[in-house]
Amino acid sequence: MNVVVCVKQVPDTESAIKVKPDGSGIIKDDLKYVMNPYDEYGIEEALRIKEKFGGVVTILCMGPGRAVETIRTGLAMGADQAVQLDDPAFEGGDAFATAKTLAEALKGIEYDLIFCGKQAIDDDLAQVGASLAELLRLPQVSLIQKLEIADDKKSATVHRQVEGGIEILKVSLPAVLTTQKGLNEPRYASLPGIMKAKKKPLDVKNLAALGLSSDSVGCAGSKSIITKYTPPPPRAAGKIIEGEGPQETVPKLVKLLREEAKMI
Amino acid sequence: MGNLLVDERDVEFVLHEQLCVEDLCKTEKYKDFTKQDFDMVIEEARKLAVNVLLPTREKGDREGCKYENGKVTVPECFHEAFRLYKEGGWITPTEDPEIGGQGLPFTIFAPIEEYCAAANGALGGYAMLTHGAAKLIEIYGTEEQKKKYMERMYSGEWAGTMCLTEPGAGSDVGATKTIAKKNEDGTYTIMGTKSFITAGEHNLTKNIIHPVLARIQGAPPGTKGISLFLVPKIRVNEDGSLGEDNDVFCSGIEHKLGINGSATTTLNFGDNGRCIGELLGGENEGMKIMFHMMNEARLGVGLQSLGQASSAYLNAVAYAKERLQGASIMSMKDPNAPQVPIINHPDVRRMLLWMKSYVEGMRAFAYYIAYCEDKEVTAKDENEREKYADYIALFTPVCKAFFSDMSFYIIKEAIQVYGGYGYCSEYPVEQLLRDNKIASLYEGANGIQALDLVARKLGMKKGGVLMNFLTDMNSFIEANKSNETLKSYIEGFEKAKNSLAEVSMHFGQIARGPDFIIPIINAYPYLEVFGMVALGWMLLWQATIADKKLKEIMAKEGALDQESIRKLISGNKDAAFYSGKIAAAKFYANTVLPTVISKVRAIKSGDKSVVEIAEESFAS
Repeated sequence: MNVVVCVKQVPDTESAIKVKPDGSGIIKDDLKYVMNPYDEYGIEEALRIKEKFGGVVTILCMGPGRAVETIRTGLAMGADQAVQLDDPAFEGGDAFATAKTLAEALKGIEYDLIFCGKQAIDDDLAQVGASLAELLRLPQVSLIQKLEIADDKKSATVHRQVEGGIEILKVSLPAVLTTQKGLNEPRYASLPGIMKAKKKPLDVKNLAALGLSSDSVGCAGSKSIITKYTPPPPRAAGKIIEGEGPQETVPKLVKLLREEAKMI
Repeated sequence: MGNLLVDERDVEFVLHEQLCVEDLCKTEKYKDFTKQDFDMVIEEARKLAVNVLLPTREKGDREGCKYENGKVTVPECFHEAFRLYKEGGWITPTEDPEIGGQGLPFTIFAPIEEYCAAANGALGGYAMLTHGAAKLIEIYGTEEQKKKYMERMYSGEWAGTMCLTEPGAGSDVGATKTIAKKNEDGTYTIMGTKSFITAGEHNLTKNIIHPVLARIQGAPPGTKGISLFLVPKIRVNEDGSLGEDNDVFCSGIEHKLGINGSATTTLNFGDNGRCIGELLGGENEGMKIMFHMMNEARLGVGLQSLGQASSAYLNAVAYAKERLQGASIMSMKDPNAPQVPIINHPDVRRMLLWMKSYVEGMRAFAYYIAYCEDKEVTAKDENEREKYADYIALFTPVCKAFFSDMSFYIIKEAIQVYGGYGYCSEYPVEQLLRDNKIASLYEGANGIQALDLVARKLGMKKGGVLMNFLTDMNSFIEANKSNETLKSYIEGFEKAKNSLAEVSMHFGQIARGPDFIIPIINAYPYLEVFGMVALGWMLLWQATIADKKLKEIMAKEGALDQESIRKLISGNKDAAFYSGKIAAAKFYANTVLPTVISKVRAIKSGDKSVVEIAEESFAS
């Protein structure tokens, strides 16, 4: 079974995100980048499928030069090959433009299954997987936590998280599945894996190679435009209710909750 | 701030800005590597340390090792961590790819080891000894021994140890009593008891291969009559399968101050006369061979000490930024002044900056020693190779002893920053202190290291090795003494360096006269002086780089006056980092290096009280 895993490079959650003074974006100078954690589940699952059924695991990543670090992490984990989509024209794209670019790139890759992380932890849109499925006219199941491929490899049984329980679906393949925490425990890249990754094929494609026009990708091809970034307002200081024992403090608290916070 | 184990930015600085490790990729040996590879390896080591090893640190300490009927059980959580460690190939980063390694430079191994030790020193010991024992077989073993033992040790399937110490032979290895009797088939029957054997018995692996020092019957006395034997816990059949047990019995484990997850065992070899060993290398060559492992282990102890000190320092900084206590000294007269984080208090800052300068100085020197190993194996000619091989020999006792003692003081200071909370097990620093104490004791107690430095290493090539080291420092001083910003600190360093040279010459002059006892009495203070000067070189070397880079940033950002520089530092990570580098070097040059001069004066006073005082007079 051939599996494609769509991967995004995102700022590390440990990095302090600063908004540019003019609100046009975030300051990227000091950022450390990592693979989107939800995509790691996709790679792990793809590797397990390969270990069971054989086939090729391909990493598909749209991102600038630095994204190669993330791609190589995936190759070091055990993926076989990678395609990087890198062109200044791709920059600033929304979920739709991104999905469109990925869909175009997928035309040149054989697959029986596509994984996307349930969302990227930078913009938290959670739309690329669904948009991609739509553009490819494929079924899609989001937020999967368990996957069983049928023996004939034509369908899969998928568990997905829903409020208050688990939904079990059967889906025909190929399909787009978005991966969620709990699906598996992603492996660490081993040292031999890191060394082997250097020799694995990495195909870098630009706009021309995909045959798309510049107004259909990136910022120009987006359906939504980000007008301004603002940092979340700083959390206001808490209020400590003073008084002798609960007899005194509880009524004060109730009063505040009623009148000031208007919660009760 | 990222992880609380090792400062990632400082690792990057030492590797790429100070040592320019990427230049190694221009050599034949390392031509297949790129900076990107190095960075990726270190990043994965960081992940392993933070996500896999660190969660076992406290658990392993609380659970400890259990002994029952000759068998030792390690903390439960060690199993999965050790599995991920060995399967990740972390036992053999620097070994030749042909024998299953990755062929990475030693300079890249240094941060890997630092990360792992910072995360869990007790667990790291199992891997470190396995590597060291396998290395001996790689270098001195027959093809058959390599196939039989080495490969399965390098893969982590089996573990290794280092069996030197006996109840009556600790620092005095020459007193070894374990006996080896030659059998007709060429093997030896081993009989004796070894004590304080780290990882001597455990359930992490199915077999353990013990390199054991023993005396072949009739061998000359002292260290000249000691041979080394490979003694498996379980015998290995011709086809590689495990056979019967080899009469190696663990008669107990020690209950210790720290590294509770590390099994410190007493091993009885041949209680029933059935313990078989194979000679490794030649007869009576045991000490020479074992020294290879001991030197590796001594540098390993230095890195372990560094890792623990680093973790203690980063934890102390994080705590000092959070903990509110007392008002700022600037508003001490105002009773309503708010509490501030304790990092605002001058005494806390003094402790932190002192720790920073030592931790970063030690990191630079440890990586530099590893870099010397790379320079040795990639040398253009014999002179260059010899220079760096001799450096490693000279620096090894300093790295082991100076680092292990300094790291203890650093962790002690970290506890001081925490105040009473630091003394409690709720915070990690008390465990770090307990786990670290062993470093000054094992792999040759620090007093032995000092004697090794003074009696063996200083005299190497008639003092030529030390001269080379002094010359390198002189060249650095020459090249940088006109640096306007750092001039006075470099002058301070020069004075300290001259003091080291002076006391070294003094030792050379009196070594053969009636005062020969003075260098022996002062071997340890001398080692301290040596370490302090070496770290001074590292810190000032770093400061010259940081100064240049900070000036570039200032010019680029147009920060010219104090206020705009301060603003730049608060908003620009690199500016803050470089500024911190300069601060550490300045602090060290102004407050630590002057003590070198007084220490040297004390040594040269010729005081012999320690040998003159009667035993009866020590206590009544």
